[in-house]
Amino acid sequence: MANLERAPRKSINDLIYDLIFKNYVWQSIFRTGYPNTPRNQMLAVATNVFLHLHPTRIHRTHVKITHTYCLGGLSFFMFLGLTVTGVLLMFYYVPSVERAYQDIQALEANVRFGQLLRNMHRWMAHAMIILVLLHMMRVFYTGAYKPPREFNWVVGVVLFILTLLLSFTGYLLPWDQLAFWAITVGTTMVGSAPVLGDESKFLLLGGFSVGPNALIRFYTLHVIGLPLVISIFMAVHFWRVRRDGGLARPL
Amino acid sequence: MVSRAAAAIRTRPRREREAEVLVWPDLVFIEFISALIFSIALMVLSAMVNAPLLNRADPDTTPNPSKAPWYFLNLQELLLHMEPAWAGVIVPTIALVLLAAIPYWDRDTDGQGVWFGTKFAGRLTVFGFTAATLITSLLIIWDGSLHVVWTENVIRGLGLNSDFAWPGGLDWFRNLRGFDTGIPWDSLGFTIGGFTMFEDWRAIPLGIPGTTTDPWLLNLNFPSFLSQQIIPVATMVGLPVLFVLFCKMLGWIHTRRDIALLIFSAFIGVYLTTTIVGTAFRGQGQDLKPPWDIVVLEE
Repeated sequence: MANLERAPRKSINDLIYDLIFKNYVWQSIFRTGYPNTPRNQMLAVATNVFLHLHPTRIHRTHVKITHTYCLGGLSFFMFLGLTVTGVLLMFYYVPSVERAYQDIQALEANVRFGQLLRNMHRWMAHAMIILVLLHMMRVFYTGAYKPPREFNWVVGVVLFILTLLLSFTGYLLPWDQLAFWAITVGTTMVGSAPVLGDESKFLLLGGFSVGPNALIRFYTLHVIGLPLVISIFMAVHFWRVRRDGGLARPL
Repeated sequence: MVSRAAAAIRTRPRREREAEVLVWPDLVFIEFISALIFSIALMVLSAMVNAPLLNRADPDTTPNPSKAPWYFLNLQELLLHMEPAWAGVIVPTIALVLLAAIPYWDRDTDGQGVWFGTKFAGRLTVFGFTAATLITSLLIIWDGSLHVVWTENVIRGLGLNSDFAWPGGLDWFRNLRGFDTGIPWDSLGFTIGGFTMFEDWRAIPLGIPGTTTDPWLLNLNFPSFLSQQIIPVATMVGLPVLFVLFCKMLGWIHTRRDIALLIFSAFIGVYLTTTIVGTAFRGQGQDLKPPWDIVVLEE
C-alpha cells in the first residue's frame, strides 16, 4: 500500500522533468503534457494539428512495416522535402531564357551547398514518382481500393498524374539541352492528340515551340499552380483515408 | 463470391480495442525512422551523384536520340510502334481511366487488407507480370527487326549460306511497317459494283454505284492504317483477353479480383519493360542498342 502520510521526495530527474514540461510556456504550446501516459499519448496525437492526420489508435496489423512499407507516407514526405528544397532553389533562379541556365550554373558553382540542394531536389523528385507508383501497387495488391475506398483510389490516380505533371514542368527549368529537348518531345506527344491536340500544345507552351513563354508557364505551374492543386487533392486523399475507416482490413 | 446485396449489408465487427495500439509512439516512431532513413539515403545519393546539366538549350542543335523524361519513355516507346495519337494520348488516357475504374468494376469487399487476397493471386501476379514482360520484349525485338539480323547472322555464321539475306517473300514479316510495305497491295485489287475497289489500297473510291460521277477518293491509306492502328490496337486489346481466357482455362480465375490481379500485373510488366527499353536500349534514330553502345550525338 502506498504511503499516504508523506509524499516521496522528488529526485533530480523529476525536478528537471517538471522544469521542462510543467512550466507555463511549455504548457501553453503543448497543452497535454509529455506523452508518457496513454492519456497524454492519445492527446498528443489528437490535439496536434500535424499529428491529427492520424487516429489516436490503430489496429495492430497496420503498424507492421510489411503491410504498407510506409510508401504513402514517404511519398508525402518527398513532397514536403521537395517543397523545402524548391523554395530554397527559388532564391537563386530566375525563369527567363537569358538567366535560367546561368543561374543553375551559378547555383552549382557559387552557392554554398548549391549543388547539393539541386541534387536533393532532383533525386527526391525521381524518388517521389517511384514511391507513388509503388504505393499504388501496394494499395492494389492488398485490395485496399475495394469498397468503401473506391473514390480514394480515384483521387490517388489523380495524384499520380499530378506528380508526373509536377516533375515534367520542373524538367524544363534548368534550360539545358536535356530539358529543352525532353520537353519538346513530350509536348509533341501532346500535340498528336486527335482532338484539340495542337490547341493543348499551344496552351501549354504559349507558342508553337518551346521558348520564353513555355519557360514562364512551366515555372508558374511548377512552383505554385500544380503544388496548390496537388495539396488540395492530398488533403482529400488523407481525409478520406480516415473517413473510409483507416487502412483496409479483412472484414 | 459474395453477392453484391450480401456484401452491402455486411458490417465491420465491433472495434477490437485490445488489438489496437497507440499511434504515439508505435506509428509515429516508424514514420520518424523511415523519414530519417530516406533523408540520409537521399543526402548520401546527392553528395555522390550530381544532377545532370548539359549545354545551354539550343533549338538549332538536336540531340540524337532526343528523349522525354524517363517516366514518359514508356509512351515514347509506344510511339515507335503505332500512330502517335494512340501512343501519346489515347492509350495513356484509356489506361488511366481503366485504372481509376477498377474499384467500380471489382466491388466485392472480400480479400481486402491482405496481400494477394485470393487463392491463385500469387500465380496470377507472377504469370501476368512475366508473360507480359516476355511478350512485350519479343514484340519490341520483332518490330526492331532484330530477328532478321539474328537469322541472317546465324545462317551466315554457321557457313550454311554466306550470302544469306532475309527472303523478299518474307518482307512483310520484317517488322510492323512490313505489313505496309512488304505486301503487294496494288496487285490485290478486286471489283465491287463496277468499281475497282482498293485500286492501290491507299485511296478507297467512294461513289454512288451506277452513276457517272467520278468517285470521291477516301484517303484512308489502308496499309498504313493496318500497320499503325489496327494491328497495335488489336494486340493491346487481344493479348489481355487471351491472358484472361488462358488463366480461366487453367482454373486460376474465379472472381473479378482475379482478373484485375492478372491484368494489373501484366500492365506493370508492360509499363516497366517499355520504360526500361525506352530509357536504356534506344540509341540514335531510336534504334535498339545495348546500353553501353548508346552515344548521344548533337546534330
